[in-house]
Amino acid sequence: MKTIRVAELAHGRSGDKGDSCNVGLVAYDDPSYAILRAEVTAERVKEHFGELVKGTVTRYELPNIRALNFVLTQALDGGGTMSLRSDHLGKVMYAWLLRMELTVAERSAD
Amino acid sequence: MKTVRLGAGMAFWGDRVRPAIEMAERGNIDYLCCDHLAELTMSILSKQMRKNPDRGYTPDVIDLLRGALPICLANGTRIITNAGGANPRACARRVAELATELGLTGLTIAVVTGDDIGQDIDGLMAQGVPFRNMDTGEPLAAVRDRLTHACVYTGCEGIVEALGRGADVVICGRVTDIALYLGPLIHEFGWAPDDWQRLGMATAVAHSIECGGQATGGLFSAGWADVPGLETLGYPIAEFAEDGTAVITKTPGTGGRVDVRTVSEQLVYEILDPGSYLTADVTADFSNVALEQVGPDRVRITGATGRPRPETLKVNMGYQAGFIGETQFTYTWPDAYAKAQRGLSFLRTRLAAAGFRAEAELVEYLGWNSMWQSRMPEPTDPELPEIVVRYAARCATAAEARKVFTECVPLYNNGPAGVAGVGTRPPVKELFALWPCLVPRDYIKQSTDILEAS
Repeated sequence: MKTIRVAELAHGRSGDKGDSCNVGLVAYDDPSYAILRAEVTAERVKEHFGELVKGTVTRYELPNIRALNFVLTQALDGGGTMSLRSDHLGKVMYAWLLRMELTVAERSAD
Repeated sequence: MKTVRLGAGMAFWGDRVRPAIEMAERGNIDYLCCDHLAELTMSILSKQMRKNPDRGYTPDVIDLLRGALPICLANGTRIITNAGGANPRACARRVAELATELGLTGLTIAVVTGDDIGQDIDGLMAQGVPFRNMDTGEPLAAVRDRLTHACVYTGCEGIVEALGRGADVVICGRVTDIALYLGPLIHEFGWAPDDWQRLGMATAVAHSIECGGQATGGLFSAGWADVPGLETLGYPIAEFAEDGTAVITKTPGTGGRVDVRTVSEQLVYEILDPGSYLTADVTADFSNVALEQVGPDRVRITGATGRPRPETLKVNMGYQAGFIGETQFTYTWPDAYAKAQRGLSFLRTRLAAAGFRAEAELVEYLGWNSMWQSRMPEPTDPELPEIVVRYAARCATAAEARKVFTECVPLYNNGPAGVAGVGTRPPVKELFALWPCLVPRDYIKQSTDILEAS
């Protein structure tokens, strides 16, 4: 087993819808998508974002483009128009998810 | 087989206009579709209109049209925009003046209105529309006296009518971004307004290009350094087939790139449930959307579908919600972080002495945790060369918010050594909050007026 970051398997983008933030991950290939589906669960994403997400995390799948979409509620300090954060629109939340570490079998990340 | 080429001319108020003009020149487009409105924009525009009845639209549309209008008229490219914002009629008057300035004749301008329900709120409430906050369930009474505007995200019907009546330029208020694209497609292909399959498919395409440069290499997170020519990024063009599928490309000879990865990333941008993407015209389902590279800078998009449109429309309502006061200062080695902590406690003590009252406050260390906040550990490196403190607070009044800066400035002489960058007074920012709510669609009627210019 070895530890890798999500960034080795996927790229991503994030943005705002009111006080919700969505983070999309797009896997680089089919094996990477399989690992993401198995490992990057809504529960783990919620734990990874910790206090940044005061609400819930829901995961959706777009299999033909090998993408996962995570919707994080109460995640932007009141939303783009109210938030005190520098990143009031959630534009860099994707990068935090790309930093998440996964433990995978040696071969699966070849 | 007939195809219709739609260009995404703008993504927000303030976006570059040059790529839209280049698209008119070299993009071989049938329609230039320009989105100028973000969630907050209507608050700002409504405020401008109250001060001056000739304002309340996004003025960048005039810069855009100054370059693009002569070319579009010559080429038969029609322009559809929501730059009308809070005041589409004033926008249309200004566009007519511009046409005269440019010596253009025979221009037909259409104005699509009906989205602004600011004057009808009490009447609609009397008819039983509660305008409850969708997120919190609160009744509108909580903020009724502080409302800045109320606009309905309206659909494409008015645009279809305007095009049917021969408009060269269609100026709308708060129609959905997607309506700017569905309108010309329905006009061209004669799709039925309940052709959910085609409308849903076309909505997925429109979603993937409506943020302009974000589909052509802007914000691309996989190999960002390899995207060529970000400074001259071309805006995206969708070449639609009659079934609503499309090939996404960009203006020839521009920077950026269109490939499966750039488009995939944009497809997952600002969506909630991909199986239920709600618009005024259709409920689109992106779940099975598929992409295929069919040539250099050409990606075919297929696989989306749709279901009936929702019976309610979303209302973009805003209300005045106080002010943000903020300040920042930099401490340097040695003990940069410890001194920053001391500077911060100085600021808080001074604020307390000044009777400061805030509804919320936030501390960020720029260059360390301003993006991910408490997920980052405290810096422990004693050699840390510098750290920038940003302190921001939400306050009820502007006077209260100004105290943040006033009480911070003495750090220049009275705090720990090694401080810089305190002296620039940031503006106090007025806050507008959104009140998300719904209105039954039967209460909303768009209207389309034709204005013959010169």
